[in-house]
Amino acid sequence: MSLLASFFRNPWGRPRWLAVITTIYIVWSIIPVSIAILFAFNASRSRSNFTGFSMRWFNGATGSAFHDEALRHALIHSLELAVLSVIVATPLGLFLALGLQRWRGRGAGMTNLLMLLPLVTPEIVMGVALLLLFISVFGFIGLGTTAQAIGQITFSLSYVVVIVRGRLVSIGKDYEEAAADLGAPPFDALRRVLLPLLGPAIIASAAIVFATSLDDFVITQYLSNGPDTQTVPMLLYSVSRGAPTPALNALATIALVITIGTLVAAFLVFRRFSSSGGQAATEIATLDL
Amino acid sequence: MTDEGTRVSGGEITIVDLTKRFGEVAAVDGINLEMPPAEFFTMVGPSGCGKTTTLRMIAGFERPTEGQILLDGVDMSQTPPHKRDVNTVFQSYALFPHKTVAENVGFGLKYKRVTKAEYASRVAEALALVQLTGYEKRSPTQISGGQQQRVALARALVLKPKVLLLDEPLSALDARLRKDLQVELKSLQQNLGISFVFVTHDQEEALTMSDRVAVMNEGRVEQCGPPREIYEAPATLFVADFLGVSNLIAAESAGSGADGCRLAVGDFSLRAEQGELTATGSVKAMIRPERVRIEPHGTPGENRLPGMVEHSVFLGSFQEVIVRLATGGIVKSVVANDGTTPFPQGTPVSVHLPADGLRVLVGPPAAEPTPAVADLA
Repeated sequence: MSLLASFFRNPWGRPRWLAVITTIYIVWSIIPVSIAILFAFNASRSRSNFTGFSMRWFNGATGSAFHDEALRHALIHSLELAVLSVIVATPLGLFLALGLQRWRGRGAGMTNLLMLLPLVTPEIVMGVALLLLFISVFGFIGLGTTAQAIGQITFSLSYVVVIVRGRLVSIGKDYEEAAADLGAPPFDALRRVLLPLLGPAIIASAAIVFATSLDDFVITQYLSNGPDTQTVPMLLYSVSRGAPTPALNALATIALVITIGTLVAAFLVFRRFSSSGGQAATEIATLDL
Repeated sequence: MTDEGTRVSGGEITIVDLTKRFGEVAAVDGINLEMPPAEFFTMVGPSGCGKTTTLRMIAGFERPTEGQILLDGVDMSQTPPHKRDVNTVFQSYALFPHKTVAENVGFGLKYKRVTKAEYASRVAEALALVQLTGYEKRSPTQISGGQQQRVALARALVLKPKVLLLDEPLSALDARLRKDLQVELKSLQQNLGISFVFVTHDQEEALTMSDRVAVMNEGRVEQCGPPREIYEAPATLFVADFLGVSNLIAAESAGSGADGCRLAVGDFSLRAEQGELTATGSVKAMIRPERVRIEPHGTPGENRLPGMVEHSVFLGSFQEVIVRLATGGIVKSVVANDGTTPFPQGTPVSVHLPADGLRVLVGPPAAEPTPAVADLA
């Protein structure tokens, strides 16, 4: 007892009770995920009784994530949407951020607010709104992959703008002015100075767009037009209510690994190529979902 | 100085009725300046006086609301910065952190149509000029503040501009390094023969380095001239107060006579030979501390006011004596250290204010005291 008391009463070190609370929180948030991952490797069909280690739900001949047509299709479709989102949202958001940064006149404040709106609007509201949009106004597009991609880009664009603008503010205008002063026309100043300096922010926002796209359920579900455009989260949701097998856990595990892998890779690239790696890390950490 | 033959011709900048408004506020309010070629020209003033905005308009980063900026007679006020034949050393240096020292220096040469060989030789030459040969491959983040400053200088000078603009380039350095670089900048300017336009809030820097100083306040030029002229003959109270240490004594002027201006300070009368001798009414009598003589109490003669030593500060090579006048004001005097301590605190003295050092000024004084005044007070 006195040992425990002296552990907490430590006037010189860091406050230990903070460490304890942090540890409890981390364990609490990791346990469910760990259990889900564990059962992806279960030898039997059970998702509650672990009987032994097996890879059968990943690559077994029947009912595994790789061989089940529906599961594999969902994974491919998820990746398809994620790549589309990154390809469109990153450059678009980058140029929006550059434009907004320079736009100091009337309307700039309003646009700032509008950019943040998708981040605070409940996703279900946005989903419904987009559904109506694609059914009535943009009937020629209709529901399906295109609609899903546009829906995801609509809100992931905001992340890119927020991250890139944050970096633009910290970079300041000195570098650009220096480039212009040395004779660089505006486009050259952008290409030779601003873009390299923005590199870490661009990579961070691309990674976040990718990860949010993989995770998104509500909007993607609303804008889907059937099993052909089912993503991993949608599939997990529908199947888990029917007759789930550990193959679902296997699929979830694959999705998780891809998401985490993306963020870690982005973080490493960041550290490698940016002189201010610490700041980039913060950008990822604060916006991680 | 090098011989005239090796000199590059420096550019001449003429500023005509230049105004810059940000909304309702006029940061620069219709100024006119002549910056002669191959001179070290300094704009000095308190923060917010418009000196940096003026420099930024010369560089092209701000668009003038009104007025013209002529470089060798050609108006460039509407030319974008990348097409101007001037280069800037930024207060933050703004070295590109993703490029090496050599790449930073060579950045602008990409727009100068130089051959590869010329590119290499000019980069090497510029680095040699600022004594940074051997630092080519370093990142700007790996070198000291003073070295960064030199790289910024080399990056601008490699383009052989007609005019080099410097925006408080020494303010981020420590005092000792600053002194060294002051000397270096000055000799660089003389050797290269190009025009320097330097912006600083440091009055000492302005006085020691410049061929010509413009003292600015609230978007206007208070006075422009050689450092000695500005120090010895300040045209306004602001200039007198801002540059160096000044004694400003409130007085009533009775107007000019044959031998100068008659002033009344309390019950005492003074005669001034400098400044606005024809002014009447409430004025300030200004005199530099080094011109004030402290004499034994009761010394006869004109321009002598009785007082008592309030403070005597030993400063090594000289001693500063602060005297409370019988009329209530305070006068600072600087006395050379001759091995004695002639005026201990509380000594009644006679303060001699020689008429040829006494200047009559009218108008509002500087809003805030300069650091130097605060230090000595």
